[in-house]
Amino acid sequence: MRAVPRFRDLPVTLRVPLVMAGLMVLLGFLASQSVLSALGRVQDARLSETARLHVEGLSVALGPSVLRQDVWEVYDILDRARSAYDGQRLLLSIVADERGRILAATDPRRAPVGEAVAGFEVNAVPPDAIRMTGDSTLRVMAPLLFQGRQIGQIVTELDVTDLLTERRNVSMWLLFGNAAATALLAFGGWLAVARILRPVGTLVLAMDDSKGAPRPISEADIPRGDPGLSRLILTYNRMTTAVESRAEAERRLAERERFVSLGRLSSSLAHEVNNPLGGLLNAADTIRTYSDRPEVVRQSAELMLRGLSHLRDVTRAILDENRLDRIGQVLRREDLEDLKLLFEPEVSSRAQSLTWKAEAGQDELARFPAAPVRQVVLNLLLNAGAAAGQNGIVGLSVAAEQDRLAIEVTDSGPGLGQADLDRLLASGPLPPGGGVGLRLVHDLVRGLGGEIQHERKDARTYVRVILPMKDSSDA
Amino acid sequence: MQSTRRAVLFGAAAVAAPFVGTRGWAQGPAPFKFALTPVFLDNDAAVIDALRLALSQGMGQEIELVQRRTYQEISGALLDGSVDAAWTCGFPYLQHRTELSLLGVPVWRGQPLYQSYLIVGKDDAAKTLSDLRGAAHAFSDPDSNSGFLVTASDLAGDHQTPEEFFSRVIFTYGHRNVVRSVAGGLTRSGSVDGYVWEALSVAEPELTAQTKVIARSEWLGFPPMVARKDRMDDPSVQACRTALLALSDNPLGKQALKLLSLDGIIPGEDALFEGIAARMAILADG
Repeated sequence: MRAVPRFRDLPVTLRVPLVMAGLMVLLGFLASQSVLSALGRVQDARLSETARLHVEGLSVALGPSVLRQDVWEVYDILDRARSAYDGQRLLLSIVADERGRILAATDPRRAPVGEAVAGFEVNAVPPDAIRMTGDSTLRVMAPLLFQGRQIGQIVTELDVTDLLTERRNVSMWLLFGNAAATALLAFGGWLAVARILRPVGTLVLAMDDSKGAPRPISEADIPRGDPGLSRLILTYNRMTTAVESRAEAERRLAERERFVSLGRLSSSLAHEVNNPLGGLLNAADTIRTYSDRPEVVRQSAELMLRGLSHLRDVTRAILDENRLDRIGQVLRREDLEDLKLLFEPEVSSRAQSLTWKAEAGQDELARFPAAPVRQVVLNLLLNAGAAAGQNGIVGLSVAAEQDRLAIEVTDSGPGLGQADLDRLLASGPLPPGGGVGLRLVHDLVRGLGGEIQHERKDARTYVRVILPMKDSSDA
Repeated sequence: MQSTRRAVLFGAAAVAAPFVGTRGWAQGPAPFKFALTPVFLDNDAAVIDALRLALSQGMGQEIELVQRRTYQEISGALLDGSVDAAWTCGFPYLQHRTELSLLGVPVWRGQPLYQSYLIVGKDDAAKTLSDLRGAAHAFSDPDSNSGFLVTASDLAGDHQTPEEFFSRVIFTYGHRNVVRSVAGGLTRSGSVDGYVWEALSVAEPELTAQTKVIARSEWLGFPPMVARKDRMDDPSVQACRTALLALSDNPLGKQALKLLSLDGIIPGEDALFEGIAARMAILADG
């Protein structure tokens, strides 16, 4: 047994909500991605707008001063622009002349006057192309236009730490918010689906509970609002009735099988009764004729006693076989003797040889119920006897092996056909035609938790029934 | 009595109007135009308002305070009559001594004198002017005494010009701008009006804290208020002189002086500017 059951092995009432929760997580993820992507676009647009306004504003203000190469004026405008603009955003603004020499910067210590601006143009992009890259500092570069001609360049460093923080915060909120919302919805969904699927659960439970005897679902539990589901349950209820009827039919058939087996025995049993009767009549006649001869009377009486005893045994065996109150009785050695008594006339009527080895002791036999084992053995013997034919060989061996009882019936017949094997070994539907004797053996053995083995060897058929031995207390 | 004097003054102003006013469309007498230089806190509207109110009250006449970017523009406006009087610097006053006369000289910390400061960044290792060779330097105005003449004449004494001594020279046209230039690192050093630097150290201590003074000049004549010599007898000019000298006697004037960190205004005399004249001579000789 695996510790974590596979998904497909989970109950449908769990699988459907899980699938739904999974879809919700996926939806949450996609929604989060969409929000983050929209936020990214908004931030990019905001950044681009800030950069563009800054550069355009500076272009207008700086033009004449740059043209005059007035370092102070340029610095003054940049310095005042820095405090006028969002001072947090603009880290550094550099203005260079048309030769690429720095004219002034908001931080002259970082960008000294007269130095080349090229070093600050690394990774710089035009204002319209600025995008959040994950860096906290971004650079924008734009030509400084005055009266339609380029007179210099503006390079600006933007601090986007706040935007990154905002993005991170939104991500966190989305993560936690979506996780909470998804969990809530998934739970709600689970409740709803579980409620919707409750009739299915009831159905599954009704089928599981039954142990082969499905029980119908009560009218109150049928969801009338769901036509499909209610039809399914009604169909199931009809099926349970059908299964019950079938089980009842099988039970009746099994009951009848006992009479059938007796019926199969009747002719030989009639002989078995008839033969002693002749002897008994002879003995009675002898007593009447020689009533004055005490030794003859005693001999005849002995003869009659033996004959009557035999008759008594045969009738008791037949009665035992046919008794209805044997349920609960344990198997005894006498049961096997009875079977031998019942079966022997069959053997002698066909001039067969019977090998009878009942080696199991009373203690081992007492672990098993009498009725089903007797029925199994009798059915197998009758089948073997019929298969072995005239002068055939039939054998029975009952042996206790450790924790099980092995019953083996052999015959020298032509072997079991496929249809008979299906009856005996498989649980599938009964093939049409044929009796139910072998199938009864199969069902009884399964009911006892045992198994049936079949083997064909050296022109002999071996049918071996293995019954697990239960504790004597269970018997 | 008061109303009579005001009427006279208004009349005088009306007579003077054709010479000083340019507002042909104005109704009534043109306002008296008083030019301010970038010598002090030129961005402080409160100071300008207080001064305008005090002078208007003192003169009994509407005053228009005119701001110009450079001393050269002030001197030009004074000389061509587009302004009636001006608060300028000792250096341009001496440059045009023949055309200009003193209206008054402000008194700062008890005397009509001030100093020029040589400033550098607060962490700069330079201790004297000579340590700043090859650096970028900020001057205030080429016609400013404290913001140019003092440093230039110091260099001229060694037969050097600022352009030769410094790697780069910029003019910021404002003493506060000189401090900003040094504080922001645009230039390593600057020549600044000591009075402005001290006033700034109170008004904007975080700005001056970025700088330190490494050299102070001798005491020199404080930037004076002047008018054209040929118009000194104009009633409006006289009224202006009277109002200036009386600032410390009335509440509005006191308020204005307080905002300017000044004690008062005295008539002054040319002798106050002899130090500046001496430096001009050195520069001319250098």
